[in-house]
Amino acid sequence: MKKTLILMASLMMVSSLVLSGCGSSDDKSGKDGSASGEKKTKIRIMGYNKEETRKSYLEYLKKKLPNVDIEFQFIDLKSYENILRTQLAAGEGPDIFETSGSGAVYANADYVEDLTNASFTSKYNDTGLIRYQGKVYTIPLQSWFEGIWYNKDIFTKQGLTPPKTWDEWMTIHDKLRQAGIKPQAMGAKSWEPMMKQSMGMLLNEFYAKPENKDFDTAFSDGTKKVSGNWNELVTKWTETIQKGNITKDMLGIDYDQAQDEFATGKAAMWESGPWAAEALKQKNPNLNMGMFPIPGLTEGTGWLIGGPGSALSINKQSKNKDAAMQVLEVTSTPEAQQALIKDNFGSSFLKGVDVQLPAEYQDSAAAFKEGHVYAPWINWPFGAIAEDYGKALQEVLTGGRTVEEALKVLDDKADQQRKTLTGK
Amino acid sequence: MQATTTKEKRPYVLEFCLIVIAILVALPIYYLLVTTLKTPEEAAASPLGLPHQWILSNYVDAWKLMHYPRVFMNNFIITFFSLIGCTILPCMASYGFARSRNWLSKLLFLAIIAGLVVPFQIALIPLYKLIMSMHLMNTLWAVVIINVSVTIPFNVFLFINFVKSLPLEVEESASIDGSGVVGTFFRIVLPLMQPVIASAAILNSLTFWNDFMGPLLFLQTREKAVILQEVYRNIGQFSTNWTAFFPMMVLGVAPLLLFYIIMQKYIISGIAAGSVKG
Amino acid sequence: MLRKRERSFFLLILPAVLIYMIFYLYPVISTFVHSFTDWSLLQKNIHFIGLDNYKALFHDDVVLTGIKNSILYAIIMTIVQNALAVPLAVALDRNLRTKNWLRMIFFAPAVLSPLVVGFLWSYIMSSLDYGPLNQILTHLGLGSVNWLGSAKLALYSVILTQVWQWTGWAMVIYLANLQGISKELFEAAHMDGANGWKTFWKITLPLLVPSITINTVLSMIGGLKVFDIIFSMTNGGPGHATESIVTVLLQRAFTDSQLGYASALGVLFSSFVMIVTVLQLRLMKRWEVS
Repeated sequence: MKKTLILMASLMMVSSLVLSGCGSSDDKSGKDGSASGEKKTKIRIMGYNKEETRKSYLEYLKKKLPNVDIEFQFIDLKSYENILRTQLAAGEGPDIFETSGSGAVYANADYVEDLTNASFTSKYNDTGLIRYQGKVYTIPLQSWFEGIWYNKDIFTKQGLTPPKTWDEWMTIHDKLRQAGIKPQAMGAKSWEPMMKQSMGMLLNEFYAKPENKDFDTAFSDGTKKVSGNWNELVTKWTETIQKGNITKDMLGIDYDQAQDEFATGKAAMWESGPWAAEALKQKNPNLNMGMFPIPGLTEGTGWLIGGPGSALSINKQSKNKDAAMQVLEVTSTPEAQQALIKDNFGSSFLKGVDVQLPAEYQDSAAAFKEGHVYAPWINWPFGAIAEDYGKALQEVLTGGRTVEEALKVLDDKADQQRKTLTGK
Repeated sequence: MQATTTKEKRPYVLEFCLIVIAILVALPIYYLLVTTLKTPEEAAASPLGLPHQWILSNYVDAWKLMHYPRVFMNNFIITFFSLIGCTILPCMASYGFARSRNWLSKLLFLAIIAGLVVPFQIALIPLYKLIMSMHLMNTLWAVVIINVSVTIPFNVFLFINFVKSLPLEVEESASIDGSGVVGTFFRIVLPLMQPVIASAAILNSLTFWNDFMGPLLFLQTREKAVILQEVYRNIGQFSTNWTAFFPMMVLGVAPLLLFYIIMQKYIISGIAAGSVKG
Repeated sequence: MLRKRERSFFLLILPAVLIYMIFYLYPVISTFVHSFTDWSLLQKNIHFIGLDNYKALFHDDVVLTGIKNSILYAIIMTIVQNALAVPLAVALDRNLRTKNWLRMIFFAPAVLSPLVVGFLWSYIMSSLDYGPLNQILTHLGLGSVNWLGSAKLALYSVILTQVWQWTGWAMVIYLANLQGISKELFEAAHMDGANGWKTFWKITLPLLVPSITINTVLSMIGGLKVFDIIFSMTNGGPGHATESIVTVLLQRAFTDSQLGYASALGVLFSSFVMIVTVLQLRLMKRWEVS
C-alpha cells in the first residue's frame, strides 16, 4: 500500500510539473508582445457583467494604458455582493469595481473614493451622475435597459404585432399558446425576471403619474410604504400568472436556459436587455428579433426597465489609486464609450457621444423618446431588498404567499435595512 | 480475494438487482461524460444516447479556456501542502494529548474537540480580516493554512483513538533505552500510525481538492484560481452551451475520479478504517 | 522526570494548538462577541446591543425557514441514506462475482465535487425538454415533474441528489464493519435455523451499531451544515423553499451586510449542532450498551 501511495504521489508530482512546464512556456510566448513597459501597475477590476460584454472596452484600455496591467474579474451577481463586501470590509478588494446607482451603500461605509472633483467627472451629463449626499462616487457606464425580446418571424407568422396595451399583450400570449408555441421563456430560478415584470406594470400605471414622482424618495425615508400603494397593480399583474404565461416550471429554469429557449425559437418572447443580443445571434444567426417595452393598461408607449446602468467606483483603500484614476480617465473618452456600447448596447452619459438606435430596438423608440425608462429599486439606498421582493413573488407563484404579504416583505426589509444603514 | 469459509451459493438474483441499481447510480456520470462528446442539438435531442461522432475538440477548448495546467497546479499545491500540515501537526498533538496527564493539555484537547461541532462558516468574516492583516490574502498559503486549521479537530479526534489503542509497552521500553518523548514519537509511534494516517490523508485529500468556498473567498486573481473556480467562472457564460460547459465539469472532476479509479481499493479501505476506528 | 516528559508532550501539542487557536478558535470567538453588536459592513462604528440580534432571529421568517429546512435535510438524509446503505452493504458482503466493481460504482459519486454535482443534477432535473430525467419519465408515460421549480418538491430533489452522492460513502463504512464481524456468528445462526431476515435483525444490525453511530452522526452534521449543493442547484429558491441555515447566514452577512445579526445566527446554529451531536452520541451509546 505504502509503495503504491508513494508511486502515485510521485506520478502526480511529475505530471503536474510537466503540465506546469507547458503552462509557463505558454505564458512567456503570450507576454513577449507586450514586454515594452518595465514596471506594470496591476489594477484589478471586479464586475458582475461578463467579460464578453466588456471585451472591446478592455482591449481599448489595454491599448491606451500599456503600463497598467488590467485584470478583469467577473463574479456572478449571485455572489458578487457577498465577495465584494467581505473584501472591502477586510480592507482589501479590487481597485475598481462595478456597482449601480450612486454607490450609496459603499459611500456610506466610506469604502469608495469621492470623485466629485475628478477631472473626468465634468465630462458627463448631469443626468448620468447620481449623487449621494451631494457627492459623486461613481462614473456611469452606458445606460441600461431591458424590455421584451420577441421573435419577429413567429409574430409575423401568427399575424401578431407588438402590443400597445396590457390586454393586447395577454391576448398575444393566448394566441401563441393556441398555436402551440410557448409564449414566454423565463428564467424564474433567479428572483429578477418576475420582479422586473411586475415593476413594468408599476412603471406604466404608478410611476408615470405625477403624484408619485417622489415616491422612491419617500419610500427610502420611510415616510411611504409600498403596501397600500402597489397592491392593486401588482394584483392586476398576477393575471399573467393566472393565465399561465408564467408557470411554476419556470422556477427551475435559469437565465441561460431561458435565453436558449428564445434563441432556438421554442419560445416567442423573453425579457432581457441588449447584453443578450450578441449571445442570441451567436446561438441562432437567423434569429430575427426585436424588443418592445412592457405595455400598460391604457394605450401608450409602454415602459422599459432601466436606468443609468452600472457604474464604476474606485476603492478608497486601493494602493494604486493613480492608475485607477487613469483607467477612469480613459473610460471617460468617446472611444471607450463606443467600445462599451459595441458589446452591450445602451446610450452614453458622456457629453458629445451620439448613439444610433439599432434596428432591433425600433419598437421601443417611442418609449425612449418619452424617457420612459426607469427602475425604482436602483434609487433605494439599501442593499439587495429588491431581491427579497423578487423571492416573495416566486412564492406568490408557488402559492405560498399573497401579493399583500409579498409587499409587506418589501416594506419590512426596507425598514430593517434603513436601521442597519443609519445605525438606528 | 480472501477464501470465504462457507461455500455459499452465488446469489444470482441479488447480483442482478445490484447491477441494475449500479447502472442507475452510474447514469448521471455517464450522462456527464457522454454529453461532452455531442453537439448541443444532439445533447438536447437524446441526452442519454451515444454520440454520432466523437468531438474531442471540446476538451481542447475547455483546457485552454480554463488555463488547465495552471489551475491544476494550484489545486495540487494546495492539496499537497495542506495534506502535509494536516497530517503531521495532528499526529504530534494527538500523541501528546494521549499521553499527557496535565490539566492544561486536557483543557486544550477539549477546546480542539469543540471544533468538531462548530461549523467553520461562522468564522469566515473574522478569518478574512485575519488573513488580510497577515498579508496572506490571495496566496495559496492562505487556503493551505485554513485547510489545516479546519481539519485539525477531526484528525486529532481520529488519531488519538488510534494512539490510545497502541500498547504502552513498546514506548516504555524505548524510554528505558533513554529515548526522549519526541524521539519515541518520531521513531516508534509515528511509524505505527501509518494506517490511520493513510486513511486520514485520503479523506482529507478529497475535501481539499473539492473545496470551493475557501478559494472563492481567499484567492482573487485568475493566476491563483483553482479548478472549481474556473468551472464556476464559466457557468454563466456557457451554461447552455453543453459542448463548452460539460467538458469543463469533466475536467473539474477528472483528476479525483481517475485517482479514485486507480486507487479505489486503498481509498475505500482507508475511509473504512479511518471511520470505524474513530 | 515527569515534568520533563510533560514539557515534551506540550512541545508536540503546541504547533497544532497554535494554528488551531489562531485560525479557528479566535475567529469563532470573535464571531461570538460580535453577535451581541450591530456590526455591519456598512458602518464604521460598532455598538453593543445586548440580545437584540437573538430576539430578532425568532421573528425572521427566512431564518426560521432555513432552520426548518436544515433539520428536514438532516433527518431525511440520515434516514434515507442509512436505510439504503445498510442493505447495500449487507448485499455486497455476500459472495458476489462483481462485488468489487459494484462497490467502486456505488462509491464513485462521493469523490465528485459537490459544486459540480449540483450543476450536473440541475441539468438532469431541468424542467426543459432536454432534461434527461423528465425525458425518461415521459417515455415511461409518467409525465414530467417540476423537480427544482416546485416549492414543495425542490427540497426533496436536493435531498435525492445528496443521497445519490453520499450513500456509497456510508455503505463503505458499513462494509468495513461487516467484514470485521466473524463469519462464524452467521453460521451459528444458520445452524440454529434462523432465516436471513431474522439473522439480519438479531445479529447483523446489533453488530453494526458502531458504524451506525458514526454514519448517523456524520450525516446529521453534514445535513445541518449543507451549503455547496444548494448554492449550485437552487440557490435557496424558489422563493426561500430550499434555504438552509448556512445559505441564510451568508445572505444576512453579506447581501444584507448585517454581520452582527448573522453572527448571532451562527452562534445559535453551532450550539444547535453541538446539542444534536451530543444527544445523538448519548442515545447511540445507550443502544450500544443494550
